[in-house]
Amino acid sequence: MLEIADLHVAYGRIPALNGVSLRVGAGELVAVVGPNGAGKSTLFNAISGLAPVTSGAIRFDGRDLASVPPARRAHLGIAHVPEGRQVFPSLTVRENLEVGAYTDAGRAAWEETLERIYTWFPVLAERSRQTAGTLSGGEQQMLAIARGLASAPRLLMLDEPSMGLAPAVADEIFERIVAIHRERAMSILLVEQRVAEALHFADRGYVLEAGHVILEGDHATLSDDDRVRRAYLGM
Amino acid sequence: MDTPQLIENFLQSLTAGVLTGTIYGLLCVGLTLIFGVMRVINFAQGDFMMLGMYFAFYCFGAIGGQIVFGDVIGPFVAALLAGPAVFLAGLVAHRALIARVTGTGAAALEAEGHYAQLILTLGLSLVLQNAGLFAFGSAPVSISTPLSYSAWEIGPLYGDRISVFVNQGQTISALLAIGVAVAFALLLGRTRLGRSLRAAADNPRAAIYMGIDVERAYRLAFGFGVGITAIGGGLLASSYPFQPYVGLEYVIVMYAGVVLGGLGSVRGAFFGGLTIGLVQQLSALILPTQLQNTAIFVAFLAIILLRPQGLFGMAARRA
Amino acid sequence: MSDTFFGSGRTSFGIPDRKRGVTPFSVPFSRSHRWWILAFVIVYGVIALFVTNSYQQLIMTVVPVWAVMGLSWNLLSGYSGLISFGHASFFGIGAYFVVLALIELDLTPWIGIPIAGLLGALAGLVIGIPTFRLRGHYFALAMLAYPLALLYVFEWLGYQEVAVPMKRDAPAAYMQFADQRVYVFLALALLSAAMIVTRLVERSRFGRSLLAIKQDETAAEASGIDTLRWKLKAITLSGAMAGVVGGFYAIVLLIVTPPAVFGMLVSAQALVVAMFGGVGTVWGPVIGAATLVPLADMLHAELGHIVPGIQGVIYGLAIIAVVRLAPEGVFWRIRDLITDAAARRRSASSATPASTPHDASASVARSAGAGSPDTGAPTAGAEEPVSAARADSMTEDSPARPAENDRRRRAERLSNAPVVLEVRGLTKAFGGLHAVKDVNLDVREGEILGIIGPNGAGKTTLFNLLNGFTAPDAGRVRLYGEDVTGVRPNRICRRGIGRTFQVVKPFARMTVAENVVIGAYVRTARDDEAAALAHRALETVGLAAAAHRIAGQLTNRELRLMELARALASQPKLLLLDEILAGLAHDEVRELIDLIARLPDLGITVVIIEHTMHAMVRLVDRFVVLDHGAVLASGDPDAVTRDPAVIEAYLGRKWLEGYARDR
Repeated sequence: MLEIADLHVAYGRIPALNGVSLRVGAGELVAVVGPNGAGKSTLFNAISGLAPVTSGAIRFDGRDLASVPPARRAHLGIAHVPEGRQVFPSLTVRENLEVGAYTDAGRAAWEETLERIYTWFPVLAERSRQTAGTLSGGEQQMLAIARGLASAPRLLMLDEPSMGLAPAVADEIFERIVAIHRERAMSILLVEQRVAEALHFADRGYVLEAGHVILEGDHATLSDDDRVRRAYLGM
Repeated sequence: MDTPQLIENFLQSLTAGVLTGTIYGLLCVGLTLIFGVMRVINFAQGDFMMLGMYFAFYCFGAIGGQIVFGDVIGPFVAALLAGPAVFLAGLVAHRALIARVTGTGAAALEAEGHYAQLILTLGLSLVLQNAGLFAFGSAPVSISTPLSYSAWEIGPLYGDRISVFVNQGQTISALLAIGVAVAFALLLGRTRLGRSLRAAADNPRAAIYMGIDVERAYRLAFGFGVGITAIGGGLLASSYPFQPYVGLEYVIVMYAGVVLGGLGSVRGAFFGGLTIGLVQQLSALILPTQLQNTAIFVAFLAIILLRPQGLFGMAARRA
Repeated sequence: MSDTFFGSGRTSFGIPDRKRGVTPFSVPFSRSHRWWILAFVIVYGVIALFVTNSYQQLIMTVVPVWAVMGLSWNLLSGYSGLISFGHASFFGIGAYFVVLALIELDLTPWIGIPIAGLLGALAGLVIGIPTFRLRGHYFALAMLAYPLALLYVFEWLGYQEVAVPMKRDAPAAYMQFADQRVYVFLALALLSAAMIVTRLVERSRFGRSLLAIKQDETAAEASGIDTLRWKLKAITLSGAMAGVVGGFYAIVLLIVTPPAVFGMLVSAQALVVAMFGGVGTVWGPVIGAATLVPLADMLHAELGHIVPGIQGVIYGLAIIAVVRLAPEGVFWRIRDLITDAAARRRSASSATPASTPHDASASVARSAGAGSPDTGAPTAGAEEPVSAARADSMTEDSPARPAENDRRRRAERLSNAPVVLEVRGLTKAFGGLHAVKDVNLDVREGEILGIIGPNGAGKTTLFNLLNGFTAPDAGRVRLYGEDVTGVRPNRICRRGIGRTFQVVKPFARMTVAENVVIGAYVRTARDDEAAALAHRALETVGLAAAAHRIAGQLTNRELRLMELARALASQPKLLLLDEILAGLAHDEVRELIDLIARLPDLGITVVIIEHTMHAMVRLVDRFVVLDHGAVLASGDPDAVTRDPAVIEAYLGRKWLEGYARDR
């Protein structure tokens, strides 16, 4: 479904991705892990069209995204749940979700999607009239994910959903993500700092460091690899 | 001066303040919309207002609005029509000039483009003012209608001593201004388009992730912003004479109201404009006429220096 | 303290000072500028002598007036980046003072005009003090309001139309001449003076400090520049210029009305003339005025009756065209075209230059290979993953990780060294979120301390607290025992804490040396000493050969070295490095690591935030790990990278469980 081939991204003179290749198949949960500065968020931004790609290709359903302007990519079925929540603080919870359903697919499936969202995240139903800026960190994260789901996507991209959250809350969010993946057989590309948690449920994983993919494999092969620890901690 | 006279003067000024204030409020709503969504202070806002005034003037006069709609509602129809007309002009101006100054996508979200846009609107202002001088001539004009000269009398109160005269034309203008402001607030609050504008204002990057064309949102915000202000101008056209440089006189009124209400807050802008109108009219009680505008300046500078985030609403914050 | 440090700095750099007195500060055309100005004045003067048409003479008088206004605007806004829409304030004050003083006090303009300059300066100061607290949009709006407010005040005061009285007996004493050409020469004299003053400022630390503020005010503060003081100086000088020329203009025009001197068009003209001609250069406003004023005036004369207001249209179109097509102004655009053409001619005639270091490293990285997308299994055994291979090779040939004995000796020495920085109970919360929570740490003299932690752990906030950009909610920071908590960044730099930033914004159009010397200004008031410090810093980082190069052409690696040199030029005792390795290729990282490792030998203690862990573990003596704003662990790299709490923070609890199970 998503195929990235030898992608290079540079911000002016500063290279961020140096030849990254990865793929996500239909219905797969793929995890991308790696230390800070490895280029994980840059990867997502490149897929969404907001990072300066210098060479390489991103293909969604076989279609090269280079010709698709950033604002159109969501309409193809790519949902980007950004790092740090990034909700719309002055809009209510419900309005955030409505904006999430801006795409045609989202609008068509709105009733059903809203119901599913409120089942997965009951707290959002409770607070549907509250402005998003007043929610707690965990609630905002749930809102951000729900907002991504509201567009009825075919590929859901989650950028560090557990960042800044207490472990218990992060676990809860993770469980929901996994449940959603199982229920909907949705393709999910997940960037996570908590490596084992991410790899545990993932079909496959990539380890990114300094803009390169240095390791690749499934949960079994990567989980015990001390090279992953060394990628994060240097030794 | 005796007490009833003082009270009458006060009430008269208060009335005038409310009536002009509501229209100032509408002017401010347009300006703050542009700032809230695009983070650009549009120096040409007063000149788009001027275009609205002249459009209403010609629509009523030369184009025949007066004939079609008559003397009474003609001016108001013309004022309302100025909105869509200037809206279109704003779309064109934005696409042709302002959007070109910054790149699209990620670059547009950085701050670098904003000074360039600021200065571009200054240039646009100069061109509009002076092109207006060429097109419309320098003689002041206004739309004269019977309602401009009629007033309701409230009173006599307090025995036989106090009467307040409420200008009918201005009252209807004020009601229309409120109507337009409310309609726009509904558009912002209840429609998909309005939500997309608010989302783009809150967090343009996330808005792009959602599939919202933020460039288009900026263009629409600009168009709406100048269009709304133009309606306000059209409504003022039947109360006060104007000439092509009229924008300069209202620039400080609009900025003061917008800052008072908190840059980017639509509701705040309306009440900010209303407050400025009141300040202006009430200051006439104690200050000579020429200093009325100075009073606004002083208020404006005081707000900026002491409380830039405004008194009403919240200054819009980016996520 | 700073004296002895300055003294010790000289010897501790260990590099003989051969090049003292010779400055690599070659702003292009710097020496020839003098001659260009002289040439311009002579040519203009000669033309003026031969012009007899009184209308043209008036134009020749007014062009320098607006050029001076443009220079005045440039001084504040072109160099510092604070866009002023209100220069008419100073202009109008000058104009009215001269005329009213002439009427009321019989004060000759020969004295009145200089006083007008003083008033303009005073007005600048009075306006600047409250207004500089405002940022961006608010500053622009406030500056807009001042002249318009003054306009109404003067109208109310009854000065709608004030005329210069004729002085029949002793006209020259009152600056009244029958021959209009005298005014042209007076205007020219004012313009020359303004150009010379601007040039002096440009080449001095005043000008460079303003440019630094424009480029990146945060970095300027961190380099020790007292931004508020320089801004006030700029607006004072700018106001003085505008006041002087406003007073002169009143004498020329003979009638002063509020809109003519306080109106929007005055401020706009100052701005347009400078921006059109060229921002940040003495020639810009001259070109702008010489082009636009005659053009607008003549069109007005020809077509004014058909198209009234054509002046405004010209200025409006000029500014629109400039912003769209040549945002820095005509002068820079032309110069760029010339230098680009020259560069192309040179490169065509010489051999093909080698690819830049960046390209080379990028291709190395590419060929080292990323994981192939189609193999499911990890690349074990034969095809090793790149980072591990690189990490191993780094151990082999990197000199930065000393042998076991050396490390033990060094650690022992460090544990007895005096404490440079003492942090106790440092806390900062934003809203409800604790960015930094009760942090305690000691930094010992001569060590290299690494601050690490997962994303969002509060590392940058900690630096901002140490550096003075943020004031803590609680806690103390002491530098060699002196309390520096909440001290402003430029003061902290003076006390000896330097800092680099991740995003480097150099003065693209100036040389490397000019970029670096900014850092030295905090250390000495003498420019030659500053130049020497800058040169020494450049030699330390290995960029001395590049001192004359234009910063805009540097590679990423060179930019980072330059940033480091700028921090070193301020002779810090403690250096805070904020992600200095971002975006560097592996060999570049190694080079920079070696350099940083040598800094303690030069008497500098280093605290570094970095994500490139494999480089950090070879560089630092100690780690402090932050998580959720609090100190999670501290100690030497071996211990910290195996600390369960740290592993859990970085990799998650499940990973830790697996890890612990296997050990």
